Amino acid sequence: MAQIGFYHDMTRCTGCKACQMACKDKNDLDIGNIFRHAESFEVGTFPNVQTYCYSFTCNHCESPACMAACSQGAIYKTDDDGSVIIDQDLCIGCQSCLKACPYGVPQYNEATQKTGKCDACYWLRKNGEDVACASTCPARALFFGEMDALQQKHGNGKQLVNEFPALGLASMTLPSVLVNLKACAQEEGFAPSLF
Amino acid sequence: MEGKGRITEGMTRRGFVAAAAAASALAALGNAGCSPSQNSVVKKDHATPPDPTEGEWVTAACWHNCGGRCLNKALVKDGIIVRQKTDDTHEDSYEQFQQRACVRGRAQRNQVLSADRIRKPLKRAGWAPGGGAASNGQMRGKDEWEEIEWDEALSLIAQEFDRIKAAYGNKAFFINGSEAQQLMAAYGGFVNNWGTTSYGAFAYTPGICGFGGFNLSDNGNDRLDFKNCEVIVLIGSNPAWSSGGSPIYHALLCKEGGTKFVAFDPFYNESHSALEAEWIPTRPGTETALFLGIAHEMLRMDAEKKLIDWDFLNKYTIGFDAEHMPEGEDPQGNFKDYVLGTYDKTPKTPQWASVRCGVAPEKISAVAELIGKDTKAAVVGSYAAARNTHVDNWPQMLMTIGAMGGHYGKSGHMCGLTTNARAYNGGSTIFQAGSSGLKSIENPIKDEALCHVEMWRGILTGSYNYTGSSSSKRNPGVKKDIDIHVIWHGGGARLQTADDQVTGIKAHRKVDLVISNASFLTTNSKYADFILPVSTLWERDGGFLTGNREMLIMYSRVLDRYFETYSDQEIVMMLAPKLGIDPLTIYPIDEKQQFFNQAAGATMINDKGEKVPLISFTQAEIDALKVEGKPQDGFISFTEFKEKGVVSVKRKEGDAYTYYFGKDFIEDPVANPMTSESGLMEIYCRKLAASCKSFGFSSDVTPIPTYYTGPEGYPGTFAGGDIEAGKPSKYPFQLYNPHYLRRVHSVMDNVQWLREAWVNPVYLNAQDASAKQIKTGDTVKITSPYASCLRTACVTERLMPGVVGLPHGAWVDVDEATGIDKAGSDNYLYGCVVSGAGVSGWNSGICTFEKAAEELAPDIDRPLLVSYEENGDYAGKGM
Repeated sequence: MAQIGFYHDMTRCTGCKACQMACKDKNDLDIGNIFRHAESFEVGTFPNVQTYCYSFTCNHCESPACMAACSQGAIYKTDDDGSVIIDQDLCIGCQSCLKACPYGVPQYNEATQKTGKCDACYWLRKNGEDVACASTCPARALFFGEMDALQQKHGNGKQLVNEFPALGLASMTLPSVLVNLKACAQEEGFAPSLF
Repeated sequence: MEGKGRITEGMTRRGFVAAAAAASALAALGNAGCSPSQNSVVKKDHATPPDPTEGEWVTAACWHNCGGRCLNKALVKDGIIVRQKTDDTHEDSYEQFQQRACVRGRAQRNQVLSADRIRKPLKRAGWAPGGGAASNGQMRGKDEWEEIEWDEALSLIAQEFDRIKAAYGNKAFFINGSEAQQLMAAYGGFVNNWGTTSYGAFAYTPGICGFGGFNLSDNGNDRLDFKNCEVIVLIGSNPAWSSGGSPIYHALLCKEGGTKFVAFDPFYNESHSALEAEWIPTRPGTETALFLGIAHEMLRMDAEKKLIDWDFLNKYTIGFDAEHMPEGEDPQGNFKDYVLGTYDKTPKTPQWASVRCGVAPEKISAVAELIGKDTKAAVVGSYAAARNTHVDNWPQMLMTIGAMGGHYGKSGHMCGLTTNARAYNGGSTIFQAGSSGLKSIENPIKDEALCHVEMWRGILTGSYNYTGSSSSKRNPGVKKDIDIHVIWHGGGARLQTADDQVTGIKAHRKVDLVISNASFLTTNSKYADFILPVSTLWERDGGFLTGNREMLIMYSRVLDRYFETYSDQEIVMMLAPKLGIDPLTIYPIDEKQQFFNQAAGATMINDKGEKVPLISFTQAEIDALKVEGKPQDGFISFTEFKEKGVVSVKRKEGDAYTYYFGKDFIEDPVANPMTSESGLMEIYCRKLAASCKSFGFSSDVTPIPTYYTGPEGYPGTFAGGDIEAGKPSKYPFQLYNPHYLRRVHSVMDNVQWLREAWVNPVYLNAQDASAKQIKTGDTVKITSPYASCLRTACVTERLMPGVVGLPHGAWVDVDEATGIDKAGSDNYLYGCVVSGAGVSGWNSGICTFEKAAEELAPDIDRPLLVSYEENGDYAGKGM
């Protein structure tokens, strides 16, 4: 099975949140629920400050902690491409997955009393459309596809990474994300910018 | 998710799914999109949700003035807007890039269907006709609203217009907005207004000194040539936040091609970070001093390093040195001797510049060396440096630096503006919509127009300085009396986006009648007596939108009429008969026919450089539109254009769209002169100084680029304006206004999705904040010489010390008990500082700040200004 995932080019991302809004629109989310969020971080002090942006969402992990924690079997990984999906018919809103996910991805929806998250636009893709987030990126910093192909196309001979301090360690769940990292994103002493 | 009406958050919450369904119908011929059969390969025990791609995609206007106007589509199913998408009409490529929408465009449906959208006219409860005490003007902005029928509202307005016209004449009417102005021109005339808005000193100076001209708004080459630059020096530039659409992508490709970026800016912004620019912190409004220092260093090092293109200066400019001064002028007044301090004994050394602009002297020297004639260099930026008071010579300074390096008219060289729709892609537009066929009615009153900077003061005090009818059509200033009784905001956002809002509110409270055409309780509306709810472009029959030069958007109707909202033209059509005017004299052509005329007259430049018709029409297509017209041939069929919503060109190196700013002028300066008196680039410009002096706003504009200052800006942060003495003034911080991605200027500030995404803090330097024990998340009170506002602190290392950044465009929300604004409205903190050619100077502010005791709720938690009950009744301010 090929595994889908996201490639994030940190050397291009400006944290503009177009992906975040495309996701919110596609998932029709109320205020309080955001399935993808772009954030900006700074390291160092004036005038030697360095910054980077990252767009966080579900990493469609190879070993999803959320899936393991779900007592209802509502969370599943698709056979064909490894998308991790919460079946809204089966979810009982117990929020076990929220606690289990090391990346803090699943979000409880007060209105539906169920938990939701990025489904890699699985059903859009099954019906011929592209993922909402990557297809809107004005900086062309976000791409979606099969992991091997993403590495091949964007790696330029080097192994793209799947962990850095602001994201968290990869070893726990093997996230399906490839990042072209800026050097400053490897610093431990980062601070989010409240933009 | 099943069964949930997929509609905006606001509509769902307010329970108006049914209402919207009833009000919405499709008028689109559009393509339903490809819907391949579902290929369900997931585990059998998980449900397959309904096909989320069902419905019809309609091209939905994104009509705001960010420079983008990108492709937005709305998926409509059973009259409900399901979701949006952006450009997928072709593969994204370097040759033909997709017109991808930004965070604001992607939130457009949350604006159009916002819960606080006004559905029916509102009248201020305390207002009555007759003027004076009856109008109860002091209650504007505080009073209650009541719903009123259209006919009653327009009858009251018409009666009041007739009373005021009889008593005071047409000069009592201050009218903004093109359709309202058409009606009032037919009614006998109105007082107009003008301002430099975002353009700052670029509104007037370049046309006079010979640096392109107003509305040319770009000095950059086309995007394919930007990557040929070895170095791009940015001045106040943040395309990621300020130039909608793909300009940041074009810039990123330069970086990836090896171009080095250097950025002068008070803020290390997201564009600088992405472009890996060398950031050189620079104080707002001091760019002229900085570049005089750079000019000094180019002169100093020229003998050794050959930085200056003397051939260019000698052939294409006047006034650089004593040998090239215009006839009749004192040779000692030349630019070079000013820079070297030959006569004023003040050489504009890097040390001299550094004291003013905050840039280290060695950096000034280094940049001077970097932009010499033999380097393919771009020295470019936005209007930001020109949005200061007392900087009318700044565009001329920039022109001069470019001329010294010979950076015009050739590949890899450019100097000046690269911003807004033409950021990183200069040149004239390839596609153009045709004329609607409507003829503009001339305003019979030709000798009254208020300049934005002192507009509100003029209305409040009854006296103003008349200097002409627009920022480019100018004449010597004449003091005039004015007696305004009506303010009609027939569009725009003047009370929010013009200078001196504190006085603006007073001026609104003074007059007899204020009307606002709007979709929301905008600032214009908040201080009005009548709010006339307008339809959005999602509810119109169709039209065209231009952004970057390589594309044209044709939008279609997404929704039927939204409750009782009407277009600005329809409002005029309803009001005109009540004023005794036949509406057909204003609009002899209906809106459907206007749209067709624009479509039939649309043109493009083809690959041979010829202007040709863009859209082909068959008789069947014309008949379906129910308009008059003849079939024609074009580049794309009407039906295909309507389906796609966008037309663009595929670029290649050396094609017909290749553009180098100034190339024609360089090749033949006599046949293709600049717009100055001499036809050359006037580094000594007699007319600039003389005309600016004649306007009567200030007398400091000089024929050559020199550095002078006003009461505010950096010198204003020191007691007595004395930088050398160094004693702080009451307002020891500079205040400037970065453009902000929650809004397009002031538009969309109420959109809930955007409020959630962009919190709108105030930016404070970490050392400055620490000295006042302020940390991120604290409430801060910012106080200028004019007023105070509250914002949440964003404490950052990215802003230089001594500077406060307050994002542009928040809708003022004054606490009437304290007079403090809780929204962080930029113009609430700016006053009436007149200078030069009447430039609005939002980056010249000064302020102080302190930790505030008040808790400030996040904007997303502030009540909606307008709300409706479940049954549709108006419910006043929301909870």
